[in-house]
Amino acid sequence: MNRKLIVRVLGAILAIEGLAMIPSFLISLYFRDGDTAALGYSILITIAVGAAMYLIPKSDKKSYLRLKEGFIIVALGWILMSAFGAIPYMLSGMFTHFDSAFFESVSGFTTTGASVFEGFENYMHGVVFWRATTHWIGGMGVLVLTLALLPKLTGRTAHLVKAESPGPSLSKLVPKTGQTAKILYRIYILLTLLEFIALLFCGLSPYDAAVHAFATAGTGGFSNYGSSVAAFDSVPVDIVITVFMFMFGINFALYYKFLIGERFKAFWRDEEFRTYFFIAISFTLAITLFNLPYYESFFTSLRYSSFQLSSIISTTGFVTADYSRWPVASQFLIILAMFIGSCAGSTAGGIKVIRVKMLMKLSRRNVLAAGRPKKVDVIRIDKKAVDENIVSQVAQFAVMYIALVLIGGFLISLEGKYDIITNLTASLTCVSNVGPGFGSVGPVDNFVGYGVWGKSVLSLLMLFGRLELLPMFILFTRSAWHKY
Amino acid sequence: MRIIVIGAGKVGYTLAEHLTQEEHDVTVIDKNDDVIERCSGSLDVICIKGNGANAKVLLEAGVEKANIVIASTESDESNMLACLIAKRLGAQYTIARIRDPEFNESQTLLQNELGIDVAINPERATALEISRLLRYPFAGSIESFARGLVEMVEFRAQEKDAIVGIPMKDLASKVPHLPRILYAMVERNNSVIIPDGNFAILPGDKVFVSGDMVTITEFFRFLGRYSQKIRSVMLLGGGRISYYLSRLIVPMGIHVTLFELDSQKARRLSELLPRVDVIYGDGTDQDLLQEQGLSQVDAFVSLSNRDEENLMTALYASRSGVQKTIAKNSRMAYMDVLNDLGLDSVISPQVITSSTILRYVRARENSNGTHIERLYRLIDGNAEAIEFVARKGDPYIGIPLKDLNTRKGSLVSVIVHQGKIIIPFGKDHIEEGDHVIIVSRNLGISDLNEVLYR
Repeated sequence: MNRKLIVRVLGAILAIEGLAMIPSFLISLYFRDGDTAALGYSILITIAVGAAMYLIPKSDKKSYLRLKEGFIIVALGWILMSAFGAIPYMLSGMFTHFDSAFFESVSGFTTTGASVFEGFENYMHGVVFWRATTHWIGGMGVLVLTLALLPKLTGRTAHLVKAESPGPSLSKLVPKTGQTAKILYRIYILLTLLEFIALLFCGLSPYDAAVHAFATAGTGGFSNYGSSVAAFDSVPVDIVITVFMFMFGINFALYYKFLIGERFKAFWRDEEFRTYFFIAISFTLAITLFNLPYYESFFTSLRYSSFQLSSIISTTGFVTADYSRWPVASQFLIILAMFIGSCAGSTAGGIKVIRVKMLMKLSRRNVLAAGRPKKVDVIRIDKKAVDENIVSQVAQFAVMYIALVLIGGFLISLEGKYDIITNLTASLTCVSNVGPGFGSVGPVDNFVGYGVWGKSVLSLLMLFGRLELLPMFILFTRSAWHKY
Repeated sequence: MRIIVIGAGKVGYTLAEHLTQEEHDVTVIDKNDDVIERCSGSLDVICIKGNGANAKVLLEAGVEKANIVIASTESDESNMLACLIAKRLGAQYTIARIRDPEFNESQTLLQNELGIDVAINPERATALEISRLLRYPFAGSIESFARGLVEMVEFRAQEKDAIVGIPMKDLASKVPHLPRILYAMVERNNSVIIPDGNFAILPGDKVFVSGDMVTITEFFRFLGRYSQKIRSVMLLGGGRISYYLSRLIVPMGIHVTLFELDSQKARRLSELLPRVDVIYGDGTDQDLLQEQGLSQVDAFVSLSNRDEENLMTALYASRSGVQKTIAKNSRMAYMDVLNDLGLDSVISPQVITSSTILRYVRARENSNGTHIERLYRLIDGNAEAIEFVARKGDPYIGIPLKDLNTRKGSLVSVIVHQGKIIIPFGKDHIEEGDHVIIVSRNLGISDLNEVLYR
């Protein structure tokens, strides 16, 4: 294993994280509510450690990044980044225990948005802004950002992007990985800016608009209000955020195709997008109908149901209504949406629509094969045959995903707190990077009730979910740490 | 530039690798899943699975905006078809690998009708390269610049060479009658050194000298390396390279003995090449080689399909006292090891083919605005020799070289002024329109102003 190379790349990640803290620092200078020093020190510490790790190891130029090392860099990078991202929370006194600060930081970077912070309005603006920034960085991925800024960091950069980007296979937009990363971030910035402006037009203050735009863009879900988006109680804000949550769940490659001239055909030609759109619309309508007795009119029901479904399926986790009080059929669709998530190549979590689609086709094939075993049947996506290797990887992924949710639920239950529904949905919401669950971790509650053990397990689950299992699982294999 | 490479076999892969190193946007098309996986894992390219002669696949690869399409699959027909379709779909320039000698005869017709701008025959290109090495047996490799006026020749320094152990600045005074040539580069222990005044060549170094062929020939004669012209050659393996090579060197008056293991093939070769002694038998058999007079021939070229066989037989021939041995090897990873073994002339068809194609790519790029006239990668890509044309108004023009700063790790190797070669010394200067050849340790130089400045 090429330790020097790994340390160097990790150093670059930390240095970039330190730079990303600077806007929060500037905001704290503006609001002056007591977190300026904390952020200033955090920037110094993070950049100093990062620069030292980047500069000190003298790795030779020909160093060869192996696939295994790519996975290890991604997994360690995310853990390290979360640990350093917790420094501002500790130094500012937002949390007194590191386990809580780490949980909050992981929740931010993995764009889960599950909080252990018992927030109140107008808390220290700089630190809260940093919390939103972690969503934004974590959404598109820190290695993608690193490669956009330092495309020459290592050879074989595709290994890194592959390990970090969600979805069964990596699709590059242009031949160079560094260039692809740049394009992705440009689209990301553009969409975030659009939402920021739209929210300003809805009457939000620039600070509120920025925090919510960041949290939507990363499909994270941290709000600077205890009651989340419900705090605004505004129809235009709900509509804007509903639409943008849905949009950030779309594969970014489609936006690229849209921009280079395919226009709306880019979306309709994509089978995953059509399925995603269909699921979102049909679930929304169904929940709206189920909720009719609960709300006074169809449109009120549509407003809250569409927001909540968009929030859950895009794995954002913003809240305008307490869905745990909805009819049980609606609740069940919410749980299904937590499993499915959005499209590959987006900032969202979950199993991903493309995998669900492949699984449905695989199940259909298996059923048909039972009656006609000799028939050769190919699984197609976008009218193209899918490699059988990928099909079986997708099936294994789904099994591991569900197993992880169950095992995670059991592990947090060891603490002896709450009930099955709470612990199971807490595990699910963390693996899928959604945020709120059901029961005692429902939309109007948070995760503060869990102890050190519970928070640690949930932090790990979030990382497993964000990195789509494999990079994290590899860390726990013995062969990952072998030199060869 | 946007380049599409169809077929990522040995040549295609090497090409794609070099092209990405030169910052081109490369898309690779191949039918084979495993090849696609290998490419997408190790090269910074977009990979598309499919048949490169399929319009749909080509469109997916963005053929309408491609500057160059290179078809290098195993099949000549696929390559021709791919180029034809690519050209019709809007590709600017197409290069096809066409190896069947049958197509050679109708090449111009094919090129005009099918829209193939360049047809490359790997075996023929390799044979040409070998024939050059046989003409100048003292050289490990030869690259030419300025339309052949300047050559850069590689050789291995030996203990008894007069130039060994003497610092560069004292060479002229300590070694009388030494022809004046430039020591452009030295490879020692797999690293590249650009010699300065205090540098001394040691035995075992790989030295690159440049100058015109006459001076270089004099230089090697001075070192006692330039023995008789090569008059007889043994070829191992009766493949296409051997066929083309025989066609090239027999008219030069070189006697060829060719070993072929397959009786049918041997017979067919004998029909095609009446002046060649075709021997039906195993050319790796030492008895057979000696029987046919191995120790008496001037050169031995092993061109069988198995790298190991080629290398071992070449080593054996060299041990038996054959002056010049050339071995074909297609595994790039072996190259470093071979240097240590003392095999100087190891050639690999995919490198020759891909560098021939790269030359065309660079020429295209040239017409698109950069100022590189020619570029060679030397020493497995660790160094490069670049030919520039000095342009009007550049700040270095007319100023003696000693008053200019030269970028570290690079060296002005030769100046060609109005067809005359100048081995530059401090007092020489560059004039507008001069061809200037720079050698450098892979600094990615794209402009002469990066090398010379005030």
